[in-house]
Amino acid sequence: MKHSFIALIEDKCTSCMLCVRECPAWCIHLDSHTVDVSEEGARRPKKVNVLDSFEIDYSLCMYCGVCIDVCPFDALAWDEHRALVTTNRDDMLLGIDELGPSGSS
Amino acid sequence: MGRVFEWQLVESEDWFDKIVELHSGGFTYFDFLTGVDRENGHGDPGFEVVAHLAKPDLSDSLIIFTRVNSELASVTDLIPAASWHERECAEMFGIEFTGVATKPLLRHEDLGQPPLCKSTVLAARVLTPWPGGAELEIMEDGRKVGNASRRRQRPPGVPENWFSA
Repeated sequence: MKHSFIALIEDKCTSCMLCVRECPAWCIHLDSHTVDVSEEGARRPKKVNVLDSFEIDYSLCMYCGVCIDVCPFDALAWDEHRALVTTNRDDMLLGIDELGPSGSS
Repeated sequence: MGRVFEWQLVESEDWFDKIVELHSGGFTYFDFLTGVDRENGHGDPGFEVVAHLAKPDLSDSLIIFTRVNSELASVTDLIPAASWHERECAEMFGIEFTGVATKPLLRHEDLGQPPLCKSTVLAARVLTPWPGGAELEIMEDGRKVGNASRRRQRPPGVPENWFSA
């Protein structure tokens, strides 16, 4: 596996913020909201985080992999994608749609 | 590749003599000298200075290191090329090399604490908003849930009183 990209497996992410807080480069931004989910037989609705946005700023990321290590749900993984070479810094800010693992899009 | 380097601990007062001894023993290639901050919040034992010397044909080499508090004898008189490394070490770690007049290398003298000391706080850490500080337990209608009295999260490496605002 090449360590050229950090991919987000969106379904596994619980918006726990661990990666955002541990990132030494402060390059991960995450936004989410909480919804009530009613389950049959449950006394109270369950509170579930819904991921709104997840961005890695590849102009700051140093590929240390700390975010991958700390993720308790394996929602981040090394991938052989590559963040694009660009002259525009904004192009290096990748969101949920661009961060999928290779083969998924 | 796969080369094993030999390390040797030297007392700081023997530092100069040890390098003289190695130099006269054929270790005339002075590869590098640098510092390591061993502070780790334990106070003792301060800094280490590490130097790598080798024979010019690289048939033999040795890494020597020593514990220092704030100053160490300079070897620039013996090895002029060591000057660059010592000056770098001096301004990055605040270690004083005695016996020579050390000029600053790259940093301006007014720039504050040596940047590679663990005790130095990076100004950018305070000026940049920390993405991990976001409060997330917000319902779709804007209601906050969870424990509101929870202690505010603080980014690693930033002292508490830096976030008073």
